[in-house]
Amino acid sequence: MMSKLWYVARHEYERNVFKKSFIFALVSVPLVLGGTIGMIALMVALDNNSAPVGYVDHAGLLADPIPAPVGRPEGGIEFISFPTDEDARAALESKNIQAYYVISPDYSETSRIEMVYLKEPGENVSRAFHELIRTSLLADQPPEIAQRAVGGSSVTVRSPDGRREFHGVPTLGAVLPVLLSVAFLFLLLMSSGYLMQAVVDEKENRTMEVLATSLSPLQLIGGKVVGIVAIGLTQFTAWILVGILAILIGGNVLSISWLQNPSLDWGPILAVVAVAIPSYVLASALMFTVGSTVAQDHEGQQIGMLFFMLFMIPIYALVIIGETPDATASVVLSLLPFTSLMTVGLRSLFSVVPWWQVATSVAIQTTCAAGALWLAARAFRLGMLRYGQRLRIGEILGKGRAAPMGRNLP
Amino acid sequence: MHAAEVSHIAKSFGRTQAVADVSFAVERGEIFGLLGPNGSGKTTTLRVLLDVFKPDGGTVSILGGPMSEEKKNRIGYMPEDRGLYQDLSLEKCLLYLSTLKGVPAKEARTRLAEHLERFDLAEHKGKKVKELSKGMQQKAQIINTILHRPELIVIDEPFTALDPLNTQLVKDLMKELRDQGSTIIMSTHQMPQVEELCDRILLIDDGRDLLYGDLDQIRRQYSGHAVLVRSAGDLPDVEGVAQVVPHNNATKLMLAEGTSPQDVLEALIAQRVIVERFEIAVPTLDEIFIRVVEEGDA
Repeated sequence: MMSKLWYVARHEYERNVFKKSFIFALVSVPLVLGGTIGMIALMVALDNNSAPVGYVDHAGLLADPIPAPVGRPEGGIEFISFPTDEDARAALESKNIQAYYVISPDYSETSRIEMVYLKEPGENVSRAFHELIRTSLLADQPPEIAQRAVGGSSVTVRSPDGRREFHGVPTLGAVLPVLLSVAFLFLLLMSSGYLMQAVVDEKENRTMEVLATSLSPLQLIGGKVVGIVAIGLTQFTAWILVGILAILIGGNVLSISWLQNPSLDWGPILAVVAVAIPSYVLASALMFTVGSTVAQDHEGQQIGMLFFMLFMIPIYALVIIGETPDATASVVLSLLPFTSLMTVGLRSLFSVVPWWQVATSVAIQTTCAAGALWLAARAFRLGMLRYGQRLRIGEILGKGRAAPMGRNLP
Repeated sequence: MHAAEVSHIAKSFGRTQAVADVSFAVERGEIFGLLGPNGSGKTTTLRVLLDVFKPDGGTVSILGGPMSEEKKNRIGYMPEDRGLYQDLSLEKCLLYLSTLKGVPAKEARTRLAEHLERFDLAEHKGKKVKELSKGMQQKAQIINTILHRPELIVIDEPFTALDPLNTQLVKDLMKELRDQGSTIIMSTHQMPQVEELCDRILLIDDGRDLLYGDLDQIRRQYSGHAVLVRSAGDLPDVEGVAQVVPHNNATKLMLAEGTSPQDVLEALIAQRVIVERFEIAVPTLDEIFIRVVEEGDA
C-alpha cells in the first residue's frame, strides 16, 4: 500500500524536478531577488560617495580643528575648512571635494546653510555634516550630554499588550514571517500548478485508466500530494540556503544594519508555518480537483488563476492590514481559507496575531483541506475517464446520478 | 472457481444506459472473446469488471471475489485508449508502471529487456513514447499489460494498428500466455482473430448479451442453415431449400426453417443425384455476428 504511494510520489518528484522549467524557477527566483537587492545595495553604495566635503564657516561655528564626532559614526567623511567661497569652489571644480557647505554669518538666527555641489552627494554626507554641526554646538557640554543630544533617543514601539516591540529599524525577525508567507504562497501556487498539470496530462494521455486499475485513489492522490510537497520542500530548502547566504553577505559584506545580528521571533514564524501547511494541502487538493474536472489544459490554468487571485487578496488589502492590523477585516482575512496565509504573515509585521486566531485559522484551513481532499477523491473517481468532457460541480457534490465509483470513496 | 464472473450488471451515465443486462463467466486458462458492435457496451462492461466503474445493479466477482488492491497486481489491463506517458522514455514509462503493479525494480528491468527484445523495441527504449509509431506504442502497451505476469489479462482491441507480422506476434503471445495458465478476456471487432484464438465468446449489443458460449458449439448451432453440395450434374429443385447460391465449385443451399441437412441429403439421394461432396456449411463468425445482431435489432 505505502510502497505504491511512494512510487507515485517519487515519479511526480523526478518528473518535475528534472525538468528544465523547474530548474529555471529554482534558480531564477533567488537570482532575481538577489539581483534586485544587490542593485539597490549597489545604488546606495554608489550614492554614498566618501570623498571629502568642504565648508566655509562665516559664522565661526565650527571649531578648528573640528571636534571628533560623537554618537553614530558619520561614515568616514573628511571635512575640509576653506576660508572663502572662492577657495571652496576652486576645490570643487578641481574635484578635490565632492561638495561644500557655506554656513551663513547669521546662522544662529536664521539656521541658513548653503550647499554647493556638481553631483548631488548621498544621504551620508548631509547626515555627517548635521552631526558635525550639532557636535560643534554642544562642544562646551559634558561629552555624555553631547552624545545623547547628537545620538537622539532610542525609541521602542510596543504593542498595547506588550508582547511585540519594534526598535526603529526593521529587523530580520520582524520581516521574516512576511517573507515566509510570500515564499510559501509562491511555492503553494507553483507546486499545486504542477499537480494540476500532472492530472490533466494523465487524463489527456489516457494514463489515468491504467493507473486506476493499478492504484487506489488514496495511493494516487496521496502519492501525488507527497511528491508535490517534496518538490516544494526542495525549492524551499534551496531558497532558505540562498536566504542565509544573502543574510551573511548583506550583514557582513554590505553592512545592511537589519541583516546584522539577526534575532528571530519564533511566535509569528510558527504561526505562519502552522497556517501554511493546511493551506498547502488545501491548494493541492483543489488543484487536483480542477485537474480531474476540466476537459483541457488551458481550462485548468484559467481556474488556477482564480485561486491565485484569492490567495493574493491580502496583498491588495495591505494598506488596511497595515493601518488596522487588529480590526475586524484583518481578523476575518486571517481566518478565511485562501487569505489567511498572507494575512497572518502581514499582520505579524504590524501587530501580534492572538494565538486563538491562529488556532482558529489552522482549524478552518484543516477542515477545508479535508473537505478539499474528499472533493479531489470524488472528482478523480468521476472525472478520470471523462475524456474531453467537463465535470459539473453538481456531479462532484453528488447531485447528479453519475457516480461511477462512489461506493469506494475514501 | 471462475477467473471472472459477471451477473446481470447494469450501468448508466445520466440518461444513457451503457449496459442494461450482461452476464457471463470466464473460465481459468481460457481466451474469452467479448464481441459487439461499436457502442454496444463492451468497454463499459470491462470497466465494471475491473472496478473502474461500480455497476448500478448486478454483481461482479473477479479472481474469486470482489476487487481488492492486492488483486490489482494480479490483473493486467490494456485499455482501448492507449495509456502511456507520452513525455517519458519508453523504458522509464514501462518500468514505472510495472512498479505500480508490484514488480521489484530490478526484476522489472530484466523482464522488460526480454520483452523489448521480443517485440523488436529494444533499440527504441530511450525514445520518448510520443516519438514511437502507433504500432510501436501498441506493442509497448501490450508489454505493459503482461510485464507483471498477471493471472488475468483484460485487453481491449489488442490488434489495432498492428501490421500482419506483429498481429501474428501478439497472437502467438496470447496463445503462449494461455498455455502458461493465464486467463485472457479480449474485446475486439476482428473476427478472424476471435475465431483463431478464443475458446468462448460473449456477443453483446445495446448493453445486453445476445450470444454466449463455446465458439465451436455456437458455430454448430448456426451451421444447420446451409449445406454445400457438389454433384455430377445439375441439382434438381429440393423441397425445404430456400435459396441456391453458387459457392466456389459447389452450390450452397440455404435451408428453410424446419429443414435439416439430413432431409436435403435424403431428398437428393431419392432423386438419384450423384453427390460428389456434401458438407454442412459452417458459418464464419462474421456471418453469425451479423445475423445475431440483425435478429437482435429486429
